[in-house]
Amino acid sequence: MAKRVLIVDDASFMRNMLREILVQAGYLVVGEASHGVEAVQRHRELKPDLTTMDIVMPYRNGVDATRDIVRADAQARVVICSALGQEAQVLEALEAGAADFLVKPFRAEDVLSVVRKVLGEDVAG
Amino acid sequence: MSRYLGLFVAEAAEHLEALSRDLVSLERQRSPETVDSLFRHAHSVKGMAASMGLEAIATLAHRVEDLVETLRREAGVWDQALVDLMLEATDTMQAQVKAAAASTPVDPPSALLARLSDSVRARTGEQVAPTRVARAVHFTPASVPAPAGPQALDVLVQVLPSSASPGVRAFLVHRKLSALGPVLSVQPSLEELRAGALPGGRLRVAVEAPGGEAAVRQVLDGLAEVELLSVGPHRAPPVAPPEGPVALEGARSVRVRTELLDDFLELAGELLLATSRLRELGKRLGEAQRPALEEGVDRLHGLAKEMHGRVMGARMTPVAVVTDQLPRAVRDVARRRAREVDLTVEGAEIELDRAILDALAEPLLHVLRNAIDHGIEDVPARAGAGKPPRGQVRVTVRRARDRVNIEVTDDGRGMDADALRASAVARGAVTAEAAAQLLRSEALLLACLPGVSTAPDVSDISGRGVGMDAVKRAVERVGGTLELASEPGRGTRVTFRLPLTVAVLQLLLVRTGGEVVGLPITKVLSAVEAEGSAVDMAAPAPTLRHGPAQLPVHALAALLGFADIAGPEARTFVVMETEPGPVALAVDGLVGQEEVVLKALSRPLDQLPGLAGVTILGSGRPVFILDVPRLLG
Repeated sequence: MAKRVLIVDDASFMRNMLREILVQAGYLVVGEASHGVEAVQRHRELKPDLTTMDIVMPYRNGVDATRDIVRADAQARVVICSALGQEAQVLEALEAGAADFLVKPFRAEDVLSVVRKVLGEDVAG
Repeated sequence: MSRYLGLFVAEAAEHLEALSRDLVSLERQRSPETVDSLFRHAHSVKGMAASMGLEAIATLAHRVEDLVETLRREAGVWDQALVDLMLEATDTMQAQVKAAAASTPVDPPSALLARLSDSVRARTGEQVAPTRVARAVHFTPASVPAPAGPQALDVLVQVLPSSASPGVRAFLVHRKLSALGPVLSVQPSLEELRAGALPGGRLRVAVEAPGGEAAVRQVLDGLAEVELLSVGPHRAPPVAPPEGPVALEGARSVRVRTELLDDFLELAGELLLATSRLRELGKRLGEAQRPALEEGVDRLHGLAKEMHGRVMGARMTPVAVVTDQLPRAVRDVARRRAREVDLTVEGAEIELDRAILDALAEPLLHVLRNAIDHGIEDVPARAGAGKPPRGQVRVTVRRARDRVNIEVTDDGRGMDADALRASAVARGAVTAEAAAQLLRSEALLLACLPGVSTAPDVSDISGRGVGMDAVKRAVERVGGTLELASEPGRGTRVTFRLPLTVAVLQLLLVRTGGEVVGLPITKVLSAVEAEGSAVDMAAPAPTLRHGPAQLPVHALAALLGFADIAGPEARTFVVMETEPGPVALAVDGLVGQEEVVLKALSRPLDQLPGLAGVTILGSGRPVFILDVPRLLG
C-alpha cells in the first residue's frame, strides 16, 4: 500500500513541487498544511506515515510544530525542509524529534532518497 | 628518553602557554574552574618534566602547584604581586623548556624558588620542605582504559560530499546512534558539528550498543547521504588527548610539521594541474576513445580535489591559537605603560589556514600593542576626556562569505590624519601637495609607510620591531587587505580582511587586448554583453547602465597597457566588486572558467601593482591573475 504523506509549507509553489515529486514516485499525498498550527491539527486527523515540514511559517514555525507532533505521537516521522543558512533551526528540529532533513533547492532524487530511508523502504542501501 | 624530547617540548610549551593564559584571566575574574585548570597545567608540566629527568623545571612547576593549592584550599588573597610571581615562574619554565630542547643543561633558579617558597609560607604559615620531584613522580603513559562496556563499538561514518549540510547530517548520525546506547565519544565534537565543521566528511562515534553491529548498521541504513566506513570493537582513546601526553603507540592523532602540510598542499595542487593538463590532451582524441578517458580523468580530478580539500582541512586552525596569546601580551604592555585595559576577543573559534595565521600572529600583536601604546590614554587623560578609566580593546573575528575579517578596535585617542600627513612630508615620503590631496582614510594609511608615525616617543613597545608598513605587507602577502578607520578622540579600528585559505581559486578567464588574463570569481558580480549604446560616454567618465545603477567603466586593456583591439561598439563587461563599489571592466570576450592553483609571483614581477599571482592553465599556458582593486588604485 502506498505510504501516506502530509506536506507542510507556507508556499504553494513548494507544496506543488513536493507533491509532484512524491506522487510521481508512487506516494499518496493525503493532505497539505500552510502553517504550523494547521500542521499539528492535520497530523492528528490524518496520521500520515511521513510529514514534510517547512521551517519558516506563520502562526507556528516548523520547529515548534515538529515538537508538538512528536510529543503527541512518538512514532511520527517528520522530515524538515530547510534552506542553506538554517542549520541552527535544523539542529533544533532534530533535537525536537525530527527524523531527517532536506536542504532547498530540492532535487527529486535527494527528496526521494531521504523519504525512502526514513520510511525504511531502502534498507539495502 | 631522548626520543620523547620533541614531544615533551611541544606538550610542555602548550601547558605553559595555557598556564599563563589562566593566570591573566584569574587576575580579571576568579573562578574555581580557572584555579583547577591552573593546577592541572602546573601538574602536567611537573609530571612530564620529572619523567624526563628535568628536575629544575619539575621543581618550579611543583612550587607553582603549591601556590595554586593554597588558593584552592582557602580563598587566599589573589593579588597582582602573586600573579606577577607566577607569571615569572611560567616564563622561566618556558625558557627552561627551550633550553631542554637545545639540550642545554638547566640550573634550578634558586632565587625564584626561594621567593615562591616564601610566598607559600606567607600564605599557609607552613615551612616548605625542599623537594626532589624528579624521582618521586612517575610518568603515566596514556593507556588508562576509558570505562567502556564490552558492547562498546567504534563507528566511522562518511558523510557524502553531495550533502548540502554535512555538519547537520553528522549531528543527525550522532543523534540516531545515541538512541542505541550511551555515546562514549564523538569526533569532531558536537559543538564543532553544530558549527558545521566536519573535516573530510568523517564522523567517528564510540557508542555502547547492546544491539551490536547489526543495530548500528540498521540505524545507518535509515539515513540518507551517509556511508558506514567501519564498525568494530571500541578501543580506548588516549586519556584526555589535548591535556595529557599524546599516546606514543596506537595513537589516533600525530603531530605533523607545518612544512610537511605545505608539501602535501603543493603536491595536491600539482596533481590538480596535471589532471587539467590530461583533460586538455584528451580533447585531441577521437570520439571513440574520448569518453573512457574522460571518465577516468573525471574520477582522477574528483580524487585529486578531495585530497586537496582534505589537506586544506588539515591546515585549518582556529584563530584562537593566535588570540590566546593576546591577553598576556595586553596585560604586560598595559602594565608597562601604566594603562588600564580590558581586552575582549570574539570569534576565536573561526578557522583560518595555518599559513595565514602564522603570518599574522606578529602583525596582530603589533596592532594590539599600538592600540594600547598610542591609542589608550592614561587614566587621568581618559577622565579628562569623559571616558571610563579602563580602556577597551576589542578583537573581533568574523566570517564574511569566503573571507575572514579580524578587527582590532580601541576607544583611545584615535589617529591624527594631519599629523600623519606632516610626518610623511617631513620624511620625504610624499610631497606636501600630494599629502594635502589625500582623503582622510588614505592619510591614515600613511602610517603604513616605513618610518612614518605620530608617536611622540619611541617606546620599547611598539616604536620598534615591525611597524605598520610591515603589518600591511604581511597582510597583503597572504592575499588580504588592511584598512584603517579612526576618529580623533574616539578610537581606531584596524581591519585585516583575509582569505580563508591560500592557493586554490576559481578564475574567470577573459580576453583583452589579445591576451588572456584571470579574474578571481569571488570578486565577479556578473558578466554582461552590452551594446556600445548602453555605455554613457558623457563626461566626466564613461558609465554602464547595470540594472538601476550606473557603474563606472574601465577598459581592461587600457588599464594593463595593452592595445585596445576591439572597438567600443559591442562589448563584454565584467562587473566586479571593489571597495568603493562595483565597477564594469570592458573586455574583448569571456574565455571560460577554471579552477586554478595560485602561484605567488617572484621578483621583480611581485613589485607590479595589480598582479595577484600567476597560474598555469590546463593547456599549459601561463596566465596572470589580476588584483583589480589595486589595478584601479
